[in-house]
Amino acid sequence: MSTKKNVFKVLVGLIVGALVLSACGSAATSTAVSAPSTQTPAAQAPAATQPPVGATENPAATQPPVLPTDDPAAPSGPQGSLTVALAGEPNSLYIPDTADTIADTAASQLYDSLVYHDPAGNYYPELATSWEVAPDNVTWTFHLRQGVTFQNGDPFTADDVIATWKYGSDPKTSSWPEEYTIAKSVEKVDDYTVKVITDGPNALLLYAMFDFWDIIPGKYMDKVGVDAFQQHPIGTGPFEFVDWVKGDHITYKANPNYWWKGYPKVENLTFRFVPEDATRAAAIQSGEVDIVNRLTADEANTLSTAPNVVVSHYLVPRVYYVMFNNMSTGKGQPTMDPKVRQAMNYAVDVDGIIKSLFDGYGQRAIGMINTGQLGYGNVKPFPYDPVKAKQLLTEAGYPNGFTMSMNCPSDAYASIKEVCEAIVANLGAVGIKINLTMQESGQFWDEMSKKTLPPLAVDSWSDASGETVQRSEGLLSGGTYSTWLDPKIVDMLNNIQAELDTSKRAALYQAYNVYMQENPPLIYLYEPVTFEAIRSNVHDYTPQTNEMMYLYDTWVSNP
Amino acid sequence: MLRYFIARIGQSLLLFVGVIFLVFGMVRMTGDPASLMMSRNATPAEVAAFREAMGFDRPISVQFVSWITKVLHGDLGDSLHFRSPALPLVLQRLPATVELAAFGLLIAILISLPIGLIGGSHPGSLLDSVGRFIALLGQSIPDFWLGLILILIFAQHLGWFPVFGNDQLSSVVLPGFVLGMPVMGELTRLTRSAVLEVRGEDYIRTAYSKGLNPSTIYVNHLLRNVTISLVSVIGVEFGYMLGGSIYIETIYAWPGMGQLLGQAVGWFDFTLVQAITIFVSLVVIALNLLTDLAYALLDPRIRHG
Repeated sequence: MSTKKNVFKVLVGLIVGALVLSACGSAATSTAVSAPSTQTPAAQAPAATQPPVGATENPAATQPPVLPTDDPAAPSGPQGSLTVALAGEPNSLYIPDTADTIADTAASQLYDSLVYHDPAGNYYPELATSWEVAPDNVTWTFHLRQGVTFQNGDPFTADDVIATWKYGSDPKTSSWPEEYTIAKSVEKVDDYTVKVITDGPNALLLYAMFDFWDIIPGKYMDKVGVDAFQQHPIGTGPFEFVDWVKGDHITYKANPNYWWKGYPKVENLTFRFVPEDATRAAAIQSGEVDIVNRLTADEANTLSTAPNVVVSHYLVPRVYYVMFNNMSTGKGQPTMDPKVRQAMNYAVDVDGIIKSLFDGYGQRAIGMINTGQLGYGNVKPFPYDPVKAKQLLTEAGYPNGFTMSMNCPSDAYASIKEVCEAIVANLGAVGIKINLTMQESGQFWDEMSKKTLPPLAVDSWSDASGETVQRSEGLLSGGTYSTWLDPKIVDMLNNIQAELDTSKRAALYQAYNVYMQENPPLIYLYEPVTFEAIRSNVHDYTPQTNEMMYLYDTWVSNP
Repeated sequence: MLRYFIARIGQSLLLFVGVIFLVFGMVRMTGDPASLMMSRNATPAEVAAFREAMGFDRPISVQFVSWITKVLHGDLGDSLHFRSPALPLVLQRLPATVELAAFGLLIAILISLPIGLIGGSHPGSLLDSVGRFIALLGQSIPDFWLGLILILIFAQHLGWFPVFGNDQLSSVVLPGFVLGMPVMGELTRLTRSAVLEVRGEDYIRTAYSKGLNPSTIYVNHLLRNVTISLVSVIGVEFGYMLGGSIYIETIYAWPGMGQLLGQAVGWFDFTLVQAITIFVSLVVIALNLLTDLAYALLDPRIRHG
């Protein structure tokens, strides 16, 4: 009896582990009753009384960033309390150590970066009031905002930017050194001017600085060290750290000396950790929390009729795909022929998959680029055309199809098992017999890194930077998790990364999109949707496609 | 008696060593920890550097020996996700899990004892049938389903209890109840069969024929012997509740060891998973040992055997 119970508990634990894992990467799930009438967040056009600062402009900008809505209905200063339910506990509040979006969401409220990046792709001044890049395309000069103090009273100067870069680049204390070493060096010109030099022109610098270079107080960090800093993090941001009760909650309060007068709009900010999404849905209804994210379509359905709850959904910058292989097991296989790979793209009924497995929430991917990312929009997705697929296969010399193996990380994402099975059925209908193997995700990615997966493998990758070059490089440059190497793609990606001019880069992405359909390294599946809910007395909260929460301007009215 | 004690302690140590082997091996079955833990954008060189820093590149036997040595010194390694020592993280979560398990056990005992006693004393009666049905329910209802249903009804709709967390006194009621349900079921059945068994014993018949007061018989002979057989089960069940609360803690966002373990699995945080598993195994083994020793002390037959 006892042994059976123990085994049962182990199995239960494994299943929970799998559920938790799937919660990290998943979006909508299946079997909802009907689509709720929810609003997608309008892509907020900035109330532009100032144009966004481009890489080559140099306006005299000493005003605070002009970002979506200086809302006249908002209170003039911090008031009230806001409670956010996170889908897990952050591992750290020190940005170079944050492991995921959950930690990043909580941590980023404490700091400011030099620049702010909005979902439309524009950069705004934050701790840097302006910046320009020299004609050599590698030397960036940032002019820093004056009169800013850290939450411990230390003044913000160029030394702190250098300290942030130094500590962030150190692999001993940073999990993301590559996001800081993107800059070869950071030099002080004077107290309020820094020079950042990259190794060759790099268009990803500003985004890395926005996402990772949350400025820390250099003197304080030197004095107490990273470990002690983590016990009580200090930044220049809208909220100050109050306490962190492990396993239960993190509390912040409004920074009374925040440089942007009038912000934040909330006095007490609390993060609670609620891993189970059904519990999150219950908690938003009972009013114990004010903001929840990562809900399923089912839960969003239920919540759409709940009083005092507002539901929203949006496309997540993630693409699901089937990987081809030309580096190991795929060599010499029929999939080496681009006609075959195109045929397989025509053969999969992605819209059918979205409709039946995700209740219509999702969108067919056009390539390795998401809706709203730079360069999106010049090509249409492969239509579902099994006749054309068969025709292409015949042209390629496979009129009777062929047999091939495919692996599926069955516990990694919501409904991915069913997606894989649907793909097998679709390909079977055009004569391609697939031997499908379900695999536990740890083993799956392990085999991927060792390049021992079969010629077909289903997976997904996200990129929240507003463009797809970083993710594309990870997937297609022959690196650890890459199974396809095409020198032409590598070339295109290198050129994209080195092109600092946004509109020129957009044109390069468009050419990339076209090539990615002519010689596809992947079968493109779908972009997923995620759901969020807030209490109706929460205002000026804008869901972000990168699943971060920017809470400096969110305010609460009386319930 | 002393021989019994020493034998049990020896068995427990052996068991613990076996657990250590198992945990170490199982955790590494899912693949190379280094590449799983790093961001997918990391270069092979960065992954290799991480692997070296963590010592994952050494031969398995070397890793094992070095790990065993550390464990025996009380150092369960650093959590890969939190980058801080694993044991303090586990110990921090221990009180919450103990609180939950204790409350669950209390509820289980409070429900099961009366039902089992009544059912065993009046077998075949309506009360007995109802009691056995309740016991069956307790053992067969899936705890994850029950947990969510209770939240829906009592927390969300009725608002009698908080939906999640441990910030109020009443927070422990719902998760504790769910955790205690299977134990309640088992204890009810065991109490009932223990009562039935004891009632049929010769010494009870002798006591009746001696003319002893029925309530004295009930308390001095029946209850005492029933309690002895229950003590062993309760001790063991408490151990299992301490280790088996992953689901319930995750659903109720209860800040205990179970929730930490569930999240650690998702993070591929091998060290933390190892640490929690080792710690919980140790606790369970220790509880089993204590229960056996207590049982030996309570039951004169073992004491003098």
